[in-house]
Amino acid sequence: MTTELINDIFLVAAALFVVLAIAMFYRAVAGPTTQDRLLAVNVLGTNTVVILALLAAGLDQPWFLDVALIYALLNFLMAIAISKFTVERGGVL
Amino acid sequence: MAANKILVPLSDTVTVRQTVGYAVQSALEDADELECHLVVAIPHDGDGPAGESIIGEAEQLLERAASWVHEDAGSVSVSVHTAVLGTKEYLFGPREYAEEFATYAGEYGIDCVVLDPEYQPGVTAPMLQPLERELSNVGLEYDEAPVERPAKHERLVGQASFDRMFALFWVSYGFYLILGDPTYWFDLVTGAAVAGIVSLTLSNITFTVAPDRIKSPLRTLRFGLYVPYLIFEIVKANLAISVVILRPSMPIDPSLTRVNARVRSGLPLLALANSITLTPGTLAVRANDQRLIVHTLIPSAREDLFDGSLERAVRFVFHGRDSASIATPKERGDTEIIEGEDL
Amino acid sequence: MTDIVTLLTDVQFMAIVILLAFGLFFTLVSTVGVLRLPDIFARAHTASQTDTLGAGLALAAVALALGWQNATAYTVLLLFFVFITNPTAAHAIARSAAESGVTPWEKDDDNTEGDDQ
Repeated sequence: MTTELINDIFLVAAALFVVLAIAMFYRAVAGPTTQDRLLAVNVLGTNTVVILALLAAGLDQPWFLDVALIYALLNFLMAIAISKFTVERGGVL
Repeated sequence: MAANKILVPLSDTVTVRQTVGYAVQSALEDADELECHLVVAIPHDGDGPAGESIIGEAEQLLERAASWVHEDAGSVSVSVHTAVLGTKEYLFGPREYAEEFATYAGEYGIDCVVLDPEYQPGVTAPMLQPLERELSNVGLEYDEAPVERPAKHERLVGQASFDRMFALFWVSYGFYLILGDPTYWFDLVTGAAVAGIVSLTLSNITFTVAPDRIKSPLRTLRFGLYVPYLIFEIVKANLAISVVILRPSMPIDPSLTRVNARVRSGLPLLALANSITLTPGTLAVRANDQRLIVHTLIPSAREDLFDGSLERAVRFVFHGRDSASIATPKERGDTEIIEGEDL
Repeated sequence: MTDIVTLLTDVQFMAIVILLAFGLFFTLVSTVGVLRLPDIFARAHTASQTDTLGAGLALAAVALALGWQNATAYTVLLLFFVFITNPTAAHAIARSAAESGVTPWEKDDDNTEGDDQ
């Protein structure tokens, strides 16, 4: 019974994280600089990782964590690559 | 012996200071007088309205370099000549540069050129190797200054050694087993094979400094002590910043500061800069050698930064307890608040 | 015996709820900060650091709920990655902003949203 309650709590938390992520979308759309958007997308990525982990716990699907792990690494690579690209404009990454 | 005459082409690189230092030092080894020619070559796109500012920058660089030469020469008599080259001719590639330097050297009877390994006039790709080739083509003697490059320009490939391979093998094997199942024989065997391949092929690019058999495990242990302290600092700073941001008036006071950190380049500097960034209120924007440019959001975070508690903790992790007790950056005079344009 | 077990699960339950609540709170602060603060440098403070703590707390709650199993190792690894990569990414973004010529907002600049005066 308690486990069900905990699972529900995790799902509610995931939903709230989604709401916060949607609010963050404003910055990703509004900018005004490329770096602002990049920053917002990076935070969105971190939020996605957390949501995936919360879902893994809430739905009892541990393999979601594999996706989250890969997503975290890709998110980091994206932030580094784009911020390097904005400075060098097509230079070698 | 007569005065040594050297030609030092300058460009605004991170290693230009060291190059000048090396040039003066090596020229004074076998002579007691020095005639030092500092030149900046302007690339062909240096004309037009933008040219004015490029020449201005070049002259500023020459002025700085001239003062470095006097500083390094000490009491020895030294004459410094500065020139901006390429204002009349159009310099396109390494050959034009080499010829320009050769003409200049011929005019003043200069016998040696000291090159900055990062020498990069204009906005073109690195041109040290083609320039060296062209210099030997025109028969000009040159010398490449041995400089210590900051982390960004460090050569990635180090020396392969048993210690590196051993450390990398266990790190990658451990990572594999965390993702897999450490009790399943198939994972144990494939993990060993994969870790073996990884350690054989990648060990020479993994560590910039070879791990030390005694110090590295010790550092890992001390890092374990550092983590709770860091988390405590992070939570404290997070609460402070939350109060500021959630207040309707939002009393922020952002400013850029420069802090000269007393930690070694590489991993210690990375640890310090990451810790500074992880603590809300302070954000490392640049790290040029040991000079960190930190953006601070609220005054209390700025005070904490200037007190240098994180710096002391990082020194403790990497060098032990004895080196942890040093004066705060504020007492050392290693801090300053800078204006936005001075990045 | 059963008393101790229920007590433990109660403590675990409370810990999970508290961790999740704080995680949500810090993520909320991070979102508000990104929306309210005046420039990229100031936003990077909350976006990448307050958020890191929020994510860290939420992941800690997940690790606690999963108990002692292989998936927990995943979560701890994930936490470790988030803590290493987030400040590095924030630094890279701030640095790229600085190098492409964005000047930091200062207190005496105009367009102060929500200043006291």
